[in-house]
Amino acid sequence: MSSKAAVLASFVEAAPPGEPVWSLSSTFSPTIELLKITADIKSLTSNGSDVVESLGSAFQKYNETQLTTVKLPGSSGVVLVSEFNALGDGRYFDPGSQSSFTFDHATQKASDVLSHTLESEHSDLIKSLQRIFSTYTSEHYPSSTFAIYPVESTSSVALVLVANKYSPSNYWNGRWRSIYTYSPSSGTLTGNIKVDVHYYEDGNVRLLTTKPVEVKLNSGASAQDVVKQIGMAEQRYQEELNRGFAALSEGAFKGLRRQLPVTRQKVEWEKIGGYRLGQDIGGGRSR
Amino acid sequence: MDPFDAALDLLRRLPPSSTQQNLNGIISLKPDLEEDLLSSVDVALTSKRCTKTGRDYLCCDYNRDGNSYRSPWSNEFEPPIEPEEAADLIPGGRIRRMEESLNAGVDVYRELYYEGGISSAYLWALEEGFAGVVLFKKTSSAGGSAGKGGWDSIHVLEVSEAAGKRSAHYKLTSTVILDLGLSSSAVDSLELAGNLTRQTESDLALTHSGSRESDIEQSHVVNIGRMVEDMETRMRNLLQEVYFGKAKDVVGDLRSIQPLSEVGRDRDAHRDVVNKIGQRT
Repeated sequence: MSSKAAVLASFVEAAPPGEPVWSLSSTFSPTIELLKITADIKSLTSNGSDVVESLGSAFQKYNETQLTTVKLPGSSGVVLVSEFNALGDGRYFDPGSQSSFTFDHATQKASDVLSHTLESEHSDLIKSLQRIFSTYTSEHYPSSTFAIYPVESTSSVALVLVANKYSPSNYWNGRWRSIYTYSPSSGTLTGNIKVDVHYYEDGNVRLLTTKPVEVKLNSGASAQDVVKQIGMAEQRYQEELNRGFAALSEGAFKGLRRQLPVTRQKVEWEKIGGYRLGQDIGGGRSR
Repeated sequence: MDPFDAALDLLRRLPPSSTQQNLNGIISLKPDLEEDLLSSVDVALTSKRCTKTGRDYLCCDYNRDGNSYRSPWSNEFEPPIEPEEAADLIPGGRIRRMEESLNAGVDVYRELYYEGGISSAYLWALEEGFAGVVLFKKTSSAGGSAGKGGWDSIHVLEVSEAAGKRSAHYKLTSTVILDLGLSSSAVDSLELAGNLTRQTESDLALTHSGSRESDIEQSHVVNIGRMVEDMETRMRNLLQEVYFGKAKDVVGDLRSIQPLSEVGRDRDAHRDVVNKIGQRT
C-alpha cells in the first residue's frame, strides 16, 4: 500500500462510533462519522472517485472490526458483519436467519439476500449458545446485536457482540464490542472486550479500552458453561473499569492541577510580588 | 469542502491521543496546509531550557521563528535569529514590561495550583490593543495503579483598551489537552484522552491611581491572571465531569452490571414505596 493510501486508511480505521442515518424507508444508511471522514478525505486529496475506490479495503476492515450492524431488506432482523462471517466478494452469512447477503462497505447497505443453510460440526452447540447467550445479553445489554459463527478452519466457534449508544444531540456516542473464539476440543475461550466512547461538545474526548480474555474450560463444556464464563469475565472487567476511572480521578488527574491552592484561597493577583518572596524562601521546586 | 476545514473536521473526530501523527499525515497529503494547521491545531506543548537563565519555557507557534524559539525569561531567540527578524519579533517597551510581569505572576499561580510543571506567557502588540498566550504544562508521575497523565493549557487572549483607558475588553479562548492512561493486569489498557475549548469575554476596570502607565500595565496583568485562573478552574471541573462522569456513565449505558430485570424490579419497588408514602400523607 502506498504511504498516502496507508495514511488515508488509518483515518478510516480510527473513526469514532457514529449513529446511522435513518432514511425514509427505514433502512440503515452510512454512519455519519464514516460519511464525514470520507468527505474530509475527498477534500484533502486531489482525485475524487479514485480515492473512494482505494479506500474500499479500509472501509471493509473498519466495518468488520467495528461489527457494523445492518438491517436485511425485507425483514426486521438486524445482522452484523465481521471477519468470521465473510464469504468473500462482499458477501456475508447470518446463521440466525439462515441467509447470506451482499454488503456495500462504503454505503453500509445490505442487498441480494439468499438463503444460506449452515452445516457445521458444532451446529447443536451453536444453537444452544444462541439461546443462552440471548438470555444473557437481554439481562445486561439494553440494546445489542450478537452472532455466533462456526469457524471451519480452526474447528471452533466465534461469538461476537456489539452494543451501541448514540446521543448526537448531547455530543456523544459509545460502542462496546465483545469478540470471543471458543474451541470445543481444547476448551479454550479467548477474546477481547473493547469499549470506545466519543464526546465532542466544543472538544474531542475519547475513551479507548481493550481487555484480552482467556479462560480454560473443561473440553466438552456445555453452552451454559461458556456463557457463564463470558458473563463472569465481562462483569469483572466492567467492575475493574469503574475502579480504573476512580483510580485515574483520584490519582493521575488529581496530581495534575489542584482545585484550589493549599491556602484554600484564590490567587491574590495584586499582591503577586509578595508571593514571589515566599517562594524564594521556600526554594525553587525541581521540575 | 475547503481542505483546511476538512483537516480540522478530521482531527476533531480522530483519537486525540494521535493528533500529532494525524497532523503529520494530513500535511503529507496537503503540504500547503502546514503553516495554517500548525498555528490552528492545539497539540501537547514541548519545552526547552533557556541557556541564559537555566529556566524551562514552553514552545508554541507564538514564540517561534523557523526553528528558533524565544525564551520569555531572557527575551532572546534560541538558536539566535537574524537581527532584522529579531527587531520585529522581540517585544520591548510596554509589551515586554507586561510580558515580564505576567510571566512572574503565572509562575506563582503555577506553583500554587500545579505544584510543579512549567508556565510561559507571550504577548505581542496588535494595531489596536495587544494579544497574548498563557501556557501551562504538567505531567503526573503518580504511576502504577494511579495511572499517568498530562495536562496542557493554552489560553489565547485579545485585549483592547477603551478610549479613556479606564477599562479594557478581554477575550479569552482556552483549550486544555488532558491525556490520562492506566495499564494494569485487571484493566489492561485504559486510555482517556482529549481536549476541550471554552471562550469568555469581559470588560474589566483598569486601576488608575494617578493614571500612571505602570498601574495600567499592572491592571492588565491582574485582570488577565484572574480570567485565566477562573477559566482553568471552570475547565478543570468540566473535564472532571466529562472524563469521570459522562464517559463512565456511557459505559454504564452500554452494559449494565446489574441484571436489567432486577433494575426493572427495583424501580417498580421504589415506585411502590413512593406511592405508599403519598397515600399516607
